Amino acid sequence: MLDAMFDRATGFIDGLQTLLFVDLLQPIFYALGLMGYAEDAYDALYWVIVGLLQVLIAYLLLRPLEALRPAEPWTDRRALRADVIYTWIARLGLLNIAFFFLLQPLFFHWQSLMAMHGLPQFDLDGWLPGISDRPVVSFAIYFVVLDFAGYWYHRWQHRFGIWWELHAVHHSQRQLSLWSDDRNHFLDEMLQAAFFAALALVIGVAPGQFLMLVAVGNFLQSVQHANARIPFGPVLGRLLVSPAFHRRHHAIGDGHEGVHRGCNFGVLLPWWDMLFGSASWDARVKPTGIADQLPAPAGSGRDYGGGIWAQQWRAFGRIGARLAGRASSAQGAAKGNEA
Amino acid sequence: MNSPAMHHPIGARWRQLLRISLATAAAAMLGLGSAARAADSVIVLDSAEAQLTLIDSATHKVIGTAPTGKEPHHLLLTPDQRSLVVANSASNNLMLVDPRTGKLQRRIDGIEDPYQLGFSPDRKWFVTAALRLDRVDIYHYDGQDFKLAARLPMARTPSHLTFSSDSQTVFVTVQDTGELVAIDLPTQTLRWRMPVGDTPAGVWMTPGDKYLLVGMTGADYVAVVDWRERKVIKKIPTGRAAHNFRSLADGKRVAVSNRVSNTISIIDYGSLTKVDEIAGLLPGPDDMELTPDRRYLWVTFRFARHVGVIDMNTLKLVETIPVGRSPHGIFFADRAPIQAPNAD
Repeated sequence: MLDAMFDRATGFIDGLQTLLFVDLLQPIFYALGLMGYAEDAYDALYWVIVGLLQVLIAYLLLRPLEALRPAEPWTDRRALRADVIYTWIARLGLLNIAFFFLLQPLFFHWQSLMAMHGLPQFDLDGWLPGISDRPVVSFAIYFVVLDFAGYWYHRWQHRFGIWWELHAVHHSQRQLSLWSDDRNHFLDEMLQAAFFAALALVIGVAPGQFLMLVAVGNFLQSVQHANARIPFGPVLGRLLVSPAFHRRHHAIGDGHEGVHRGCNFGVLLPWWDMLFGSASWDARVKPTGIADQLPAPAGSGRDYGGGIWAQQWRAFGRIGARLAGRASSAQGAAKGNEA
Repeated sequence: MNSPAMHHPIGARWRQLLRISLATAAAAMLGLGSAARAADSVIVLDSAEAQLTLIDSATHKVIGTAPTGKEPHHLLLTPDQRSLVVANSASNNLMLVDPRTGKLQRRIDGIEDPYQLGFSPDRKWFVTAALRLDRVDIYHYDGQDFKLAARLPMARTPSHLTFSSDSQTVFVTVQDTGELVAIDLPTQTLRWRMPVGDTPAGVWMTPGDKYLLVGMTGADYVAVVDWRERKVIKKIPTGRAAHNFRSLADGKRVAVSNRVSNTISIIDYGSLTKVDEIAGLLPGPDDMELTPDRRYLWVTFRFARHVGVIDMNTLKLVETIPVGRSPHGIFFADRAPIQAPNAD
């Protein structure tokens, strides 16, 4: 039955992809002389459709839980508006398009240079031909390796002052919700895409065919951020990052200001926090945000911006202040100022 | 001298039964019994799913899939016809599979971004167009191994390739710059480049090496190139986004797929005109293969996740078969020759 449902879902997505591409996108590409990009656009459309469906499913499943079993009671959801827009920007692939045109050719060029100068290249799933390239095994390998890389990327976002000011856009949300996952500085999104593109130069590209499973990963991140009490239990909570585990990462005084310059950095797997001692299993619900958002004397009442553009520009202002040597985030500056 | 038993009616019956039994047993041992021999497979590369789909060539039913490397786009037979080379462009390797069953024979690693590929007619060279890495790579081929001879950077996105019959030259279309380039194979150096049109893709040598036909995926024609004079001498109107070629194995005509119009145009070599068109196809007709009787043309529909079967007598699409995502290369072992004997 699950197979039949899955087949129907993929059939629907395929049909929608064909319809949108043939009737909408391809004629535009042809008219504009962009047929060289048509195949990439066709492939990318699949990601966009799956991403949009993933948001819809996340909303249908998680919004009722946020209403019925909130982790924190809210009276006002206006603070979520910017996060909703961030989500649509991400899911419509606008940032991916920007990366594709701005940076992707550079990475392909580097890959070509590596081969021409005899630098070794390695396809992770070609490590044990016949075993590691079997689809399930290949996916598992890339899933674990990329999540490990994501853990360290996240730790570095908290470790280095200028980088933290970009990532602070994500942490400045005082009302965490299912929409908050894609609330990120655009420059940080580009940096992250570049980081994983560089990683792909070394370990080979992740299989593009696991689109559905990537969508599930994105859904899990929506679950992590949802303002809902969704207990994972002691077993599942050690296999996957739970909402409580990730909410601890966003908690004021813990996630960024904790003993290891924060805690619970894992993206989908808590294994790396467990391995490197950065795990906190405290499941108490605490206010989320950044310490210096709090009014004095707890913080400095810093405003990280309400709308998207304010949030983006204020990050540059904070970076400028760091570079100019002035004090930045009250509790983060002393630990994270590596500019 | 005949024995009395040979002429006895019951004895004759037993002898007949014995003969039949022995013949049946022998046939069974040789696998030639009443059950039909398993049909060969049509092999389709599902480029967005890292797999190939196997279709029973007799029943046209999908009989299974097999994993490939990432982004398998094109495939071709080795010169000895014992293997089918599946080029995994994002895995940077080749898989050699059985041409009839798709079963893996061996892998060859270290072949970078083999988007499009070809063997020279003299079987000494193997050339790949690395679309993503903006290169043409040339390998020595000794019938078994591939040894890198040269890597030639191209401006942007080399796409398809073909050879001169004397194996001295490989011609490559360069998609994003709208060029056709000629590379000298013995020295692995660029001989010349020329502008040819908007987003050139498939390139095809006409019989006698007279002209090159180039499919313009960014336009609605096939360019006829006098490659000795380095001139486009004619534009043959086709459907929009002329893309890839397949000879109709009669020495006279070639089919070209039109990706935006969803048609296939038939071009006559002699008059260099379009003589027929196949319409009513699914979106994104791309690679094609022809049955040995020249009756049925199989085509992959890149944007519709199907392959189609066209009756060349009626020029109608008679069947579609669902396969994996973004089907591209297609092959079956019992096929019409790629090039008919030269009619000149």
